[in-house]
Amino acid sequence: MSALVWSTEWRTALARRRLFALNVGVPLLLVAPIALSAAPAVHAAAVYAVLFVIHPTFGSAVPLVRDAEEGMVARVLRAGVRPATYLLQRAAAATLLDTLQLLPAVAVAWWGLGADGGALLPLLAGLLLTLWTANLVGVLVAAAARSVAESALFAAVAALLLLHASGVFRTGAPHSPAARVEAAAPFRALHEALLASGGTLPAFGIGASLAWAAVLAGVIVLVARRLGAALAGVPLRR
Amino acid sequence: MLRATGVGYGYGPAEEEAVEAAELEVAPGEVVAVLGPNGAGKSTLLRLLDGQLEPRRGTVRRPPPRTPDGLLAYGWAGEDAPHFEHLSGRENARFFARAAGLDRAAADTAVQTLLDRLALAPEAGRPVSAYSFGARRKLALVAALAHRPPVLLLDEPTVGLDADARAALARLLRKRSAAGAAVVLASHDTPFVEEVADRVVFMVRGRTRGGGRPRDLIRELGEGARIVVTLRAPPELPSDFHGPGWRVVEPGNPLVVRAEAGERALPDLCRALVSAGARIREISVRPPDLDEAFRRAVGETLPGRDGAGADEEEG
Repeated sequence: MSALVWSTEWRTALARRRLFALNVGVPLLLVAPIALSAAPAVHAAAVYAVLFVIHPTFGSAVPLVRDAEEGMVARVLRAGVRPATYLLQRAAAATLLDTLQLLPAVAVAWWGLGADGGALLPLLAGLLLTLWTANLVGVLVAAAARSVAESALFAAVAALLLLHASGVFRTGAPHSPAARVEAAAPFRALHEALLASGGTLPAFGIGASLAWAAVLAGVIVLVARRLGAALAGVPLRR
Repeated sequence: MLRATGVGYGYGPAEEEAVEAAELEVAPGEVVAVLGPNGAGKSTLLRLLDGQLEPRRGTVRRPPPRTPDGLLAYGWAGEDAPHFEHLSGRENARFFARAAGLDRAAADTAVQTLLDRLALAPEAGRPVSAYSFGARRKLALVAALAHRPPVLLLDEPTVGLDADARAALARLLRKRSAAGAAVVLASHDTPFVEEVADRVVFMVRGRTRGGGRPRDLIRELGEGARIVVTLRAPPELPSDFHGPGWRVVEPGNPLVVRAEAGERALPDLCRALVSAGARIREISVRPPDLDEAFRRAVGETLPGRDGAGADEEEG
């Protein structure tokens, strides 16, 4: 059963060509006007960061709740798939799919920020960590939601709060409590990589984002059975 | 192997009882059918046996979820099993076979065999979103059976199946029970139950009420036949409408008549009905069966052959 859920997620995504095309096209449509405008890099970076966080958080939470409502989560988990395997393989597949779908938009954003080649690698690293973390946040949000509408609401709230904590909307003064929160926030790496691409920040740290990615995955493994039962709506086999 | 003792379960905030003090025991190698009308609590009882619901009262004893060789011990096919809509039937079936613990080769072989047996192979490459209701039901059965579980729980397994698929399913279930599997069906399809079940348990309004071996239950009904008369213009009939060797056991439309004399009672019955002002649309004569055994045991009728839809006029 090694990569059963992972491969099923990929097959499903590739079978849904219209949705795949929309997931490529819509971010591109949102990014392109900003990239082509004379928007200051700091503002453009904030908009891009919001898009690159909202996209995976919603994309993880909403389909998971929809599958739960249709009884698919219960069926899969009672058919023998372990909850941790299901949730993490699903998030991993979604992370890579999101990366592929967002790459054209990221490329346009990178070009619009006027970055040089050296900024690309940090940007991709920040993006990957962000997408993984946002997908895991989506899993937690889905487990707390009781409907698709609730999951969308919770996803928006969680993503925006974490973006705010990451200093996307307002950078804290040096050594202030806000700056300390920012330094430990999950999406800082992406935001700073975007700012660095625009030349408004010389360097960035990846440590906090890496820690969030690892810790959230660990938390999900630890509470996977509870999350699975909440999503399935029925007791899981012991 | 499976045992429900005094089991009760209720739905909703008011916990309206769907199952009350139900008793059921199923041994390895036994096919047990829970027979009852819609809303009797059959599906809830199956979900309790499968562990999808925790009983509010009583206990359910069931085997551990995995067999000693690591395969999923349970096979479940409900009426509303969801599928991966954008994947093919074969991909769906393979997923669940692999999830149950089969390796790739074993899963492929088991799935292909079942797709062939249930005549789903020609459609197996199409996405499930294009499947008919019957094809979806077959696919759920393939997923339930592929890993050859020692416990099989099937909720209304024949709904949506054509005659060939029903026959194939009957053969598959007999094969599984011969291999030692405990099989529980919830159904009101009495011909299918008569064909495959070793034992029947009647269920009405959440309670299990007796039962037995289908052959014994039918034998206890004695000789004679059940005559079902569908009427165009149902007349007012006396409550004890009867004649030599026959009597009405279920008034209404269709009218159900118990005839010890079998079809020899037909001329007199028809004369009596026409004299009473009835216009007969259709008459069928059936030997004693589980429908009648059920009616005799619990005083209610099962939906299906005589009931649901029979009183709707055609054209």
